[in-house]
Amino acid sequence: MNTQTVSPREQRQKDRFISKASQTAAKYLRRMEELSGAPESMVPFFRVLRDIYVDGKDVSREDGVKTVGTYCVMAPHELIYAAGAIPVKLCSGSYTAFSIGDDLAPRDACPLVKAVAGFQQIGVMPLYDNCALMVLPITCDCKKKLAGYLAERCEVCTLQIPVSKEDEDIEQYVRELYQFLGVLEETTGNRVTYDSLADAMKKTGYAQFELSRFLRLKKSLPYLLRGTHIMAMMNAASYMPADEWGRQLHLVNRELEQRISRNETVTRRQLPRILLTGSPIIFPNIKIPLLIEEMCGILAADETCMGERGMSDPVVPVDQSFDGLMRSLAIRATRPCSCPTFADNRQRIFRLKQMIRDYQIEGVIYHVLRGCLVYDFEYRQIEEALGELGIPVIRLESDYNEEDVEQLRIRIEAFIELIKLKKPPEVRRTERDYYG
Amino acid sequence: MPERMTMSYESEIRDTLDRIGRENGHIRSFSYFTACAWQWFDPEQRKTVKPAVAVLGPGVPGELILAAGAAPYYILGGSLKSGAWSEDLVPRDTDPVSRSVLGFLQDPEGPDYSGTLFIVPVTSDSMRKTAYLLREQGRNVHIVDVPPQRSDFFAREKWQAQMIAMTEAVSRHTRTRVTAARVRSAIETADCAAKALREFLSASCGREDLITGGARLLVQNSYYYTGDLSRWTAELRRLNEELRSRRKRFVPGGGSRPGILLMGSPVYFPNYKIPFLIQDIGLNVLRNIDVTTLKDQIRPVLPGKRRSRDTLIRMAADRWYDQDGSPAYAANDALYRSVVRCLKQDRIEGVVYHVLKGQIEYDFELERLEALFDRYGIPVFRLETDYQYQDVEQLRIRMEAFSEMLHQNRYREERMAQ
Repeated sequence: MNTQTVSPREQRQKDRFISKASQTAAKYLRRMEELSGAPESMVPFFRVLRDIYVDGKDVSREDGVKTVGTYCVMAPHELIYAAGAIPVKLCSGSYTAFSIGDDLAPRDACPLVKAVAGFQQIGVMPLYDNCALMVLPITCDCKKKLAGYLAERCEVCTLQIPVSKEDEDIEQYVRELYQFLGVLEETTGNRVTYDSLADAMKKTGYAQFELSRFLRLKKSLPYLLRGTHIMAMMNAASYMPADEWGRQLHLVNRELEQRISRNETVTRRQLPRILLTGSPIIFPNIKIPLLIEEMCGILAADETCMGERGMSDPVVPVDQSFDGLMRSLAIRATRPCSCPTFADNRQRIFRLKQMIRDYQIEGVIYHVLRGCLVYDFEYRQIEEALGELGIPVIRLESDYNEEDVEQLRIRIEAFIELIKLKKPPEVRRTERDYYG
Repeated sequence: MPERMTMSYESEIRDTLDRIGRENGHIRSFSYFTACAWQWFDPEQRKTVKPAVAVLGPGVPGELILAAGAAPYYILGGSLKSGAWSEDLVPRDTDPVSRSVLGFLQDPEGPDYSGTLFIVPVTSDSMRKTAYLLREQGRNVHIVDVPPQRSDFFAREKWQAQMIAMTEAVSRHTRTRVTAARVRSAIETADCAAKALREFLSASCGREDLITGGARLLVQNSYYYTGDLSRWTAELRRLNEELRSRRKRFVPGGGSRPGILLMGSPVYFPNYKIPFLIQDIGLNVLRNIDVTTLKDQIRPVLPGKRRSRDTLIRMAADRWYDQDGSPAYAANDALYRSVVRCLKQDRIEGVVYHVLKGQIEYDFELERLEALFDRYGIPVFRLETDYQYQDVEQLRIRMEAFSEMLHQNRYREERMAQ
């Protein structure tokens, strides 16, 4: 915790910050909860988001257990668990922190980095202040410079993400992970052994297993669940231990199975099925998923690092030695990853095509956070590739504020209308659904 | 390419060269450097070029490419018009340097790149994605991954491995065996060039009356436009000789102009609107520090005869890594050190911090540098621009105000001294 004495003026600023940040988070949580079709078993996920963002609590953990903050999915959480600490994802979507960070970071820096800088500056979020270590995989210019910024303020460990995925690049990343391991051991005072790493992998493996079940269920019945609720679930994973998250997801899966058996969906209408890709959607910046679903679309899938991409690929150790486990972690973090940090990212196009087929997608929303150049660079290729499939794509550029909501609403509404126009007119077979 | 665009491209280069030529016509040994730049940019001459190895940006030690049998063909950008040629390929917020670099590669009437190996040092996101675009276009690309954290224990080792891999890639491409003798000779060539550059900067420092700021920059930039580094070094020595003799003969003029440090985003030929503006306003660029200018700081490695090829490559890689001032690093310590050295050596009265739109890394670095300048009591003027010329008058007004402030500071200091 920040123990420095603060002046009354600073205290007032902090109080205003807390009040504004929690109001915004509460508003978005309420809108998500009010959206029809959320499984009852989703409540714990909403609760976690409320605890962190509305009530300003830290992640729940036993006494003496340290938290390690990560800024990208490419930092393997297994290593952090194995060192006896708890990982938390610190990438944030807070509009209030963004407004503080706006004065600290360069004007054209991405809002995510500004929000992080804002939280670091204001020092009221226990989640950030209590981190024993922050891990920054260097995936873009902003993260690179953020590493320099944070290093002057807290303990930081950077991970150099290779530009390609050749064998030698993976080898380099393995070495990087070994270095990270050393830093973790030093920070936590615990030695990472074969057993502790294997246990940690089981822990995250269980969560991934439940996630794969969840994705299978989602694919099996269109309109089973709303994408905004899935976003909430995936965001909650940032602040829950993997096994606990897995257990809660297990309950969601059970409920979804029952829904499938009753052929129950969140809507009886054939709403346009949208895929969201591009810059990450991080709570409370959940305006785009909400707008999609409030404008009578269904967010059927997402290809973002805070969503399915971040967790869905399992670790597959081929060699059962300690080194083998480390290698499997490095491979999982890089090879299946379709992050635009990799110079050659044709893989992302394949993945999108696969998702379009699996989830019967009718339109793609390409989300670009202002200043997120790497995603913006790939838009052209993706637009071309999806154009060949006849899938309409729209590029939405947004920031961490609510000023652009109405503009976004108009564009999303028009996009959804466009998809509807392509479809044959809907024949109503059931009574009118006022909630769909 | 439409004829009109070619014409405006040409006029962009001619205008800059004409002005530099006009202002520095009295220097006999200067013509080589204008010819060097013209040769690189001239549409007619470009058609005949078939580079074996092209380097995007200045981010790798050229001596290693030289040792592997090719003269590096640097593509630095700098042209507004070439930026327009890549308009459809890059996002709106891409920086003008990357736009221009990519534009030069899209020019259908430009050099024949069919047999070219492209070396792409990943110093920024734009370069990372430019490599992707080039690969997508079926070009032969070798990516150099710059370790971003210098404090990382293995950073140097990683960089050395990257440099060995790059040298081997060029060697395979040129079918030239890289021997210790070749590396040694290339290092010596680069060292001679760096030494001549150091001498040039020291001979021309603060002497706008002898050689203008624009001409100084052109000489520095021309390092990247020459295909023959030994010839370039010889010509620079001749120029140094002439400048030294003029220094002796002429008393310094323009001494009343406040001396400034120009730093931040690199200024590449032909877009010299900032140095020209500074000159027009009546300020004197004592030093310019950017990713290209730290080359002169590179010290010789004394490549002894018994050293192996890989040892020599590692040595060349090491010294480059120590001095590289590109924004590819989490903390740009080389640039910082260089600025500290400059503040101690020269009488810097103000700093013009040049940021090209989209190059946010420089903006991130400004915070730390501002604190440094603040310690020395030196005012900083952050100037954001791109390659367009529409903002020149706005910049002029702001720069004039800054110049006025520097004059006032000087006047106050003199009064206090009295």
